[in-house]
Amino acid sequence: MAEKQIWQKIGEGFIQEYYNQFDNTNRMEIANLYSPVACLTWEGSPVQGREAIAAKLVGLPFKRIKHIITEQDFQPTVDNCILIMAFGQLQADEDPPMAFHQVFMLKFQDNTWVCTNDVFRLGIHNIPV
Amino acid sequence: MVDQPLWEQIGSSFVQHYYQMFDSDRSQLGSIYIDSSCLTWEGEPYQGKLAIVEKLTSLPFTKIAHSITAQDHQPTPDNCILSMVVGQLKADEDQIIGFHQSFILKNINDAWVCTNDMFRLAIHNFG
Repeated sequence: MAEKQIWQKIGEGFIQEYYNQFDNTNRMEIANLYSPVACLTWEGSPVQGREAIAAKLVGLPFKRIKHIITEQDFQPTVDNCILIMAFGQLQADEDPPMAFHQVFMLKFQDNTWVCTNDVFRLGIHNIPV
Repeated sequence: MVDQPLWEQIGSSFVQHYYQMFDSDRSQLGSIYIDSSCLTWEGEPYQGKLAIVEKLTSLPFTKIAHSITAQDHQPTPDNCILSMVVGQLKADEDQIIGFHQSFILKNINDAWVCTNDMFRLAIHNFG
């Protein structure tokens, strides 16, 4: 396969870091991946700003969570951002695995790539093939 | 709905228009893309309005109907709009299948165009 495009490399790095922090830490530092004015929409509910996002993610009601990423797509945007769409399944505590998909937008700010937009939804139509 | 944020109005209006056009005459979709638009269709990248329209018009079905289950819209830092759609579609006599699609919309010369489009069927989560 040809050399990966830069946006794919950056995107993959972000995805890996995001889900690693999400699954393997108490998520107290995950806010650092977001810009101060980032938007999160979590299962249809909007959350505005890094602090509110941190509170939302730290406060999610499970003890254990594991994400498995099965597909990820990356694109550059005309404003030099990176759009990412991730698909996979997650398992919280002893619940059955569920499909999810998540969209992120990354922007280069203050010498680092941060997430400015995050939309998460469980996969209600998804087929466990 | 009272006082829906502007990005939601624009986003939901675009989504409605997009699927209406897709389901009735895909060849008209060129009007919503620009030369620097990117489409990723089931993991395959397509660059630019012409390549995108060619891909969409060559999809191998005669009839298609999309039904939107949920849509989320957000403003982005560069005054664009990010829209995420979850729904189901039926092509010809095939079974109904879920899909996910994300768009970035940008205002260029007073019109909202789609600069980024990512589509996947809902079959990839348990790979």
